[in-house]
Amino acid sequence: MTLRLGRHPFADDATLMMAIVNRTPDSFFDRGATWEEDKAFDRVTQVVAEGAEIVDIGGIKAAPGAEIGEEEERARVVDFVARVRESFPSVVISVDTWRASVGDAVCAAGADLLNDAWGGADPELVDVAAAYGAAIVCTHTGGVTPRTRPYRIEYDDVVRAAIDDTVAYAERAVAAGVARESVVIDPAHDFGKNTFHSLELTRRLGEMVDTGWPVLVSLSNKDFVGESLDLPVGERLTGTLAATAVCALAGARVYRVHQVVETRQTVDMVETIAGRRLPQRAIRGLQ
Amino acid sequence: MTRVVLVPGALALLPEYAGIEDPVAELRSAALGAVGRLGREVTVLAGAQGARVAAYLLDATDRAGAEPSYLVVGNGSAKRTEKAPGHFDERAEGFDAALGASLRAGRPAVDVALARELWADVDAIVELADLDDDLGEAQVDYDDAPYGVQYWVIGWAR
Repeated sequence: MTLRLGRHPFADDATLMMAIVNRTPDSFFDRGATWEEDKAFDRVTQVVAEGAEIVDIGGIKAAPGAEIGEEEERARVVDFVARVRESFPSVVISVDTWRASVGDAVCAAGADLLNDAWGGADPELVDVAAAYGAAIVCTHTGGVTPRTRPYRIEYDDVVRAAIDDTVAYAERAVAAGVARESVVIDPAHDFGKNTFHSLELTRRLGEMVDTGWPVLVSLSNKDFVGESLDLPVGERLTGTLAATAVCALAGARVYRVHQVVETRQTVDMVETIAGRRLPQRAIRGLQ
Repeated sequence: MTRVVLVPGALALLPEYAGIEDPVAELRSAALGAVGRLGREVTVLAGAQGARVAAYLLDATDRAGAEPSYLVVGNGSAKRTEKAPGHFDERAEGFDAALGASLRAGRPAVDVALARELWADVDAIVELADLDDDLGEAQVDYDDAPYGVQYWVIGWAR
């Protein structure tokens, strides 16, 4: 399916890197490295140079912690979005928020995409996306409250649940007026899920792709990788890339990542093996 | 007037081996330009793989005119450098220089035994020489060995 993220159209076969940019003092991977606005801006500059098509700006870490109110979240992201929009007109700006009021403010400041990592916790977010012609990411969280950890959650079939919930959310977005080509679904690894759930979603990602909605995967350095390999946060890149390769082979379209260069190489290699991308330059044996 | 064009049998010219970037863009451009100057009906002198290259070039060009036309697929040695398909052979450069000079003079002359040793694809060039040993004035559109294989794109008209 053709994808249109705000003002940016993408070809049917394009795979996209969505680089994580945290305006937070406490996110799990970077631990506040880009908390200062100039540091976050440097991060945007770097990931754009590395080829990221999308930057995903977030003002609240996913894990539980000090409550961040709407005003504080807006203060962290709105002006920053405007600054990035001004400096990088061709990059897709995504904002990781579940709040419609924050979504409204960032869209007015130039955001193209609302990444609702908490699966529609605020039902008015789709109306904001529709009003601004923005795109939306519809995630599956199993209905948990934002910023909570999974505790003894079980599913009859986690993949079925992820498909049913994200497709229902996608249809709700379209019904609210979001363009059909501007809706992305995300199984949301580790959100409302234990490691076994995230592994099964990875293994069966092709079933989500078969829905026809473009699929985003957010795998980067997550606990299901860490628990699979018994490795701490700083040592999960290889495992992340292995999971990325499996999702790429299944046909995922958007990759939310910390490491842009490594993920782009992994996805391009898999897409080339799958016959969906040509080799960059082939001469060996063909002279 | 009889028109003859020589192109190399580089498989990288074929669409089924295309990458995002074209490693033989200049060669392709020269070959398409030269083949485009042949007449509508073209006799191909080539082995089985070379015939595929010829078919691609003929399909990709719009040609006019009724001049007798020949498309010959062949090339020089494949041992020009350490990274060449056949590795480096110090005799390769001299072999290619001699063969190239004979082609430019319109009188192809091939040391067939040495050609075999140097992985030069010359069967169709020998066939051409047997058909006509004075091809007339040569127009050299390409003369290089970018990947250790000597390529020429040469057109003759007489």
